[in-house]
Formats: sequence, structure tokens, C-alpha cells
Amino acid sequence: MYTVSGDILRERFPHRWSSCGSQLLEAMPFYHVYPGSRCLAIGTTGCNFRCRYCSNAYIAKEDPEIQQDRMYRLAPRQLVGLARKLNCRSIIFNVNEPTVSLPTLLEVAQEAKAAAIPMGCLTNGYTTVESTEVLASIFSFFNVSLKGISARFNKTYIGIDSSRPVLRNIRTLAQVRHVEITTPIVQGANDNEIDTIADFIAGVDPEIPWHVFRLLPEDEMKGAKYPDIHAIDAALQSARTRLPYVYFHNFIGSEWVHTLCPGCGHVVIERFSLGCGGDRLKRLLCEDSRCPDCGREIRLLRENACLGDI
Amino acid sequence: MSIAIVDARGWQNTLDLKTGEKTGAAGAVVEMVKGVLQRHPYPGDMDPGSNRWVTDTAFDLIDRYGPRFVFLTYAAQYFSGRYAPMASDERARMITDIFLEAERFINASGFAAIMVGTGDMTPFLGFIDATGIDGLAVCTHWSTRYAGLYGPSQEDMRRLRAHPHIEKIVPREEIGKLFGGSPEQISKVPEYLMLAREGYAFRTVSDAKKTPVMIPALNFHVPLYAPGHAVEAVTGIRRAIEEDLSERNVVLIVLEGIGVSEFPWPHLSCRNGTEWFYYEPGEAQYLTVTSGEHRFLDYPTGTGCKYLDKAEATRSYPYSGIFKSVPEGTFARTFPGKSIAVGNRSMFMHMVTGADLSVECFARNLYNQGTMAVIHREDKA
Repeated sequence: MYTVSGDILRERFPHRWSSCGSQLLEAMPFYHVYPGSRCLAIGTTGCNFRCRYCSNAYIAKEDPEIQQDRMYRLAPRQLVGLARKLNCRSIIFNVNEPTVSLPTLLEVAQEAKAAAIPMGCLTNGYTTVESTEVLASIFSFFNVSLKGISARFNKTYIGIDSSRPVLRNIRTLAQVRHVEITTPIVQGANDNEIDTIADFIAGVDPEIPWHVFRLLPEDEMKGAKYPDIHAIDAALQSARTRLPYVYFHNFIGSEWVHTLCPGCGHVVIERFSLGCGGDRLKRLLCEDSRCPDCGREIRLLRENACLGDI
Repeated sequence: MSIAIVDARGWQNTLDLKTGEKTGAAGAVVEMVKGVLQRHPYPGDMDPGSNRWVTDTAFDLIDRYGPRFVFLTYAAQYFSGRYAPMASDERARMITDIFLEAERFINASGFAAIMVGTGDMTPFLGFIDATGIDGLAVCTHWSTRYAGLYGPSQEDMRRLRAHPHIEKIVPREEIGKLFGGSPEQISKVPEYLMLAREGYAFRTVSDAKKTPVMIPALNFHVPLYAPGHAVEAVTGIRRAIEEDLSERNVVLIVLEGIGVSEFPWPHLSCRNGTEWFYYEPGEAQYLTVTSGEHRFLDYPTGTGCKYLDKAEATRSYPYSGIFKSVPEGTFARTFPGKSIAVGNRSMFMHMVTGADLSVECFARNLYNQGTMAVIHREDKA
């Protein structure tokens, strides 16, 4: 979060963290990045969206000022040091929106690069062209939350006028960085957009992994009916013919979390789904990023990840 | 094969508990349990109906399975007490309601009841920041009294020992001696165990968390309602269950977040550990009750050992929390009669009780994912 003093824009709470813990990448979720590895998952406070169903409202929506008592105070070097001590392969910003803490993240990126630790993030992608460039300089991989396309949905559920900036930034980021996309499905609100979103992704790059989430109703939507898994699965049938990496999860025991080879349909990565940030790798069957059955390349960000442009 | 049935509200899947693989297991018991899950969607950890869900689900299972031993856990008050600010009269009312709920079960079922509280709660006074050190301090955010310490420098030890809210720092060897563990067991324990003073909790590397309002007190003793028994320690509860079961059906009721100061029924004050160590609410405390032996070394929960486990990505029992095998020695595993367990504490009921059938909430960090049932035994049906 920022404050303006005269002509100066200043970060309000630099080097303060709402979370700083070791997690599996599948839990973020990143399904096509360093499978089975651990990351240091970090977050700050605040967000530029007001999603009605926010699952981290106590961090994203609460006044950051009153959260400071419980925040970690760690300089970028200490943070990167923790990642090393915890055997983390990467550092991922995942709790709130990274654009609210850009100056601090630029500092962390410098330290992380020096330690050869790549960084990734979850973002809503609602940023200016300039901020998107900064994000791309910090992070090597992104999971962009494309919550819906229609103006009506975005106004009612997210609190923004249009998804156009998000779509623009996905196109930009997908050219230069590894991108995955997540869409929480709110039944009766954006489930009718599933095919439109699939078409958009196919137009950018059909091999972008797409995480379709069954919404877990929280915050203002707590108490709402849980979306129907059978109905969403049926609605995804058409998308699956156009996109090879469609995952449907965020609920316990999901059967739609494995990676199938786009060439022959062979299972190349198996995962468990414990719902809500609990997914984990079960078995990696394409150690060399190729299908063991037909040899087709499977898109995976592995040892050759770049370390940003910082 | 133990079977897990997960219910994500309106959708179920049947899995091999050990491998996590989908299984085509079917039969009368599987169908019966699926029906129970379908009829009893979990309302949520802090929902006022959460404890009622435990009783109602247990009644449904009893009607269809006819167990001789029932294990119940009521935990809604633990979660609410921990995270929801409430006035003293509200808390008193909440505790009255828990005992009414337990009474409802006892009266309707006719089972002989043994009840144990997991310990008092105390107002949260503040965090002990153990992040900016040369070594590494770890604990889960459910742990408050204990945190593990690895590779501390001399300066770390000096600072931590001088900290006004740290009571003690115990080296690994001393923990091993206390519990008489094998070298393999002791290797799972942190190099040092730090102990917080009452009201304080360690802040170590962790996921995002809410600030608690109350946390477990220093519960060296916990309350035990066990009419006709003289039990001095939690390790003696198992024997009381066995004795009662020789004559009648028995329910063991665990009340989370209730200690000797708030337990309204006649009770014994029962030792909840040994020497300087006491159990915080969690897996090791349950296992100590169900096995009659101290189990801290098997499951040193709260000390953050999982953070250093590099081989965790691929593992057995993926739906069973920290467990990587079914614990040995739990009472219900060897009891020849039928047994069930129902609880709203966590996804460890099926592991810590060893009951033939168990139904538990599947909520992670208060996020309500649904429910899970585990069928360990169906040959008694």
C-alpha cells in the first residue's frame, strides 16, 4: 500500500509480511513449475480488488494499519536467507496482490537473484502497462486470476469496471514469462463465461495451464451454496477439447488434477487434491519434460527458469 | 485396505486411504457411510451448529452400525474461543451448551460416558518473535507453548534465553531422556524445544494466520469425568474405558478447549504430561489417551518437523495430515467389538482413534471443505 506526500509516492509498510512459510508449489497452485518442490510463500497486506468471496479478507481487505502487530518484520536479505534454510526452490508471493508492495519486492528480487532463487507470484493482473513491466522484471512465473470477463460480473463480484487490463496483461506476460491462469467459478454468475474464457486462453496460448476453481464461499459470500461440481465439470467439456491443460479443483478428492500428455493422453503428472491450498504432487512421470509414451514435450518450467530482469 | 470417502458437498469420491488412489470399493458399509455423509453436511468449525453436527452424525452411524464403543470430539468452542472475541457470559453460555450437547448424546444413546477436556484457554498476550535469528525456529500456528529450534548461533541462544516470555529451552537429549525414545524417534525432535510462558505464542515462519484471542493455557492437568474410576494421568484413561466396556457400551467424549477451571461436572484433575512437558491439544494428546502411553516422540506435533522434511512431496496417507502410517496401539484397533468415531476437530480422528468407522470434518485452517469418512474395518458389520 502507498501514501502520497507532495509529489512522492511512498510504500506505507516496507519489509512487513503477513506470511512467510514453506509450502509446496502445487498448493499455490503452480502445476507446471518445479513439480513437487517447496517455495517460501510470502504476502503483505492490501489489495486493489474487492472480491465478494475473498478467502483472505482479513489480510486483503482489513486496514493494513491495524494488522501491523501481527506482521513479520524481515529485511529482503533475511527473507531470502529463510528460503535457503527451508530448502525452498523458489519464493512465491501468494496471499494478496503484489502490486501493493512493489518497492519491497524489487529489493527482495535483487537478493533472490544473487542467491539464484527464482520468484513467482499470484496476481489479479489488474495493473498498468508500466507496473506489469515491473512485475515481469521481478517474477519468473505468474498465476493470473482471471475471475471473469463480462463487465457485469466484474462490477458485481470484483468491484472493477472492466477485465480489459487483465486480458491485456495476460497477453503481455505470456510472451515473456511462464503463465498459469486461475478462474474461481461462482455458479450462476460466471459459469456461463467458461467457454469465452477458454477461447481467450486458446487465443493467447492454448498450452497455458488453466486452473478452474470451484468457489469456496467466504467473506461476503459465506453461507452461499457451494457450486455444483458435476455441472461445472460438464461445462468444461468443450474447453478441454481446445486446451490441453485444464484442471478443475479447490475441493477435496478432485479427479481433475492430473496432467495428461496433449499428444497421446497418457498421464504424465499425478497429483492429490486436498482442496483450498492443499494440493500436492503424487508422481512425476515425465522427468525429462517429455511424455514417456509418445515423447511429446510437456510444458514445465524446470531448471532453466530465468531469474527476472532485476 | 482402509477406505476414505470424501464428501465435498454434493459430490463424493472413494479413495484408498493409503495411496490416495480412487477405488471402486463398494458394499453395504460403503453405501451406508456415503449416505451418512450425504445427510450431514458439515456446517463449519465456528458455526453454532458444529457440535450438534457431531451428535447427529453419531446417532445416524449408531443406528446403522450398532457400535459398542463410540469416540466423540466436540471442538467448536475451541475454534470460537481461539479466534472470536466474546464476553465472559457468552463464553459461559457456550460452555453450558457443550455440556448440554454431550448430555443429549449420553441420554439418548444410553452409553456410559467418560469425558476428558483438552485444557483451559487463556487470553493471548502476544507473540514471541523468533524469526530474525541466525538459526531457524519453527512451529505450526496451532502450537503456542512449543517451538523447535535448529542450528542456533551462540548469539541466538543468548538472546532467546534472555527473552522475558520464553520460559525454558530444552536440548534434544533431555527430551529423549524424558520420554525414553529410540535414536530414530529422537532424531525427529528439534535440536532444542523452546517453551513459551503462559499467554504467549511463538511467531516463526508460517502461513498467513489470524491473531488469536485466546490460546491454550499451561495445562499440566486436564479434567476427567470418569465415574467410579481413580485415574491420575491421561495415560490411565484407556484402562478406565476397557473396564467400563466389559460391562456396557461406552462413549469417550473429548471436549476441546475445556480445562479444569471450566468443567462443570464432577471431575478428576488428571496429569496431562510428564515433568515439565504437557500436551497441547492435538494428535499426540489424543494418541496418548487412546494408547495409554506417551506418544510425543512418535508425533512431535507443534515443533515444525514437517518444514525440514525434504521427502514430503510424495508420501503415503495424503489425506491424513501429518500421519504417514496408521499409528500402532490405539485402543479401537484392538477392541474386538464395533467402534465408531465422529469429530469436528480435524482430519486426524481416523488415525488417532483407530475406530472401525470414523466421520470427521475436512476443514483446513477453518476453511470448510466438507467431510471425510474412513472405513478401517467392515468385517464386523
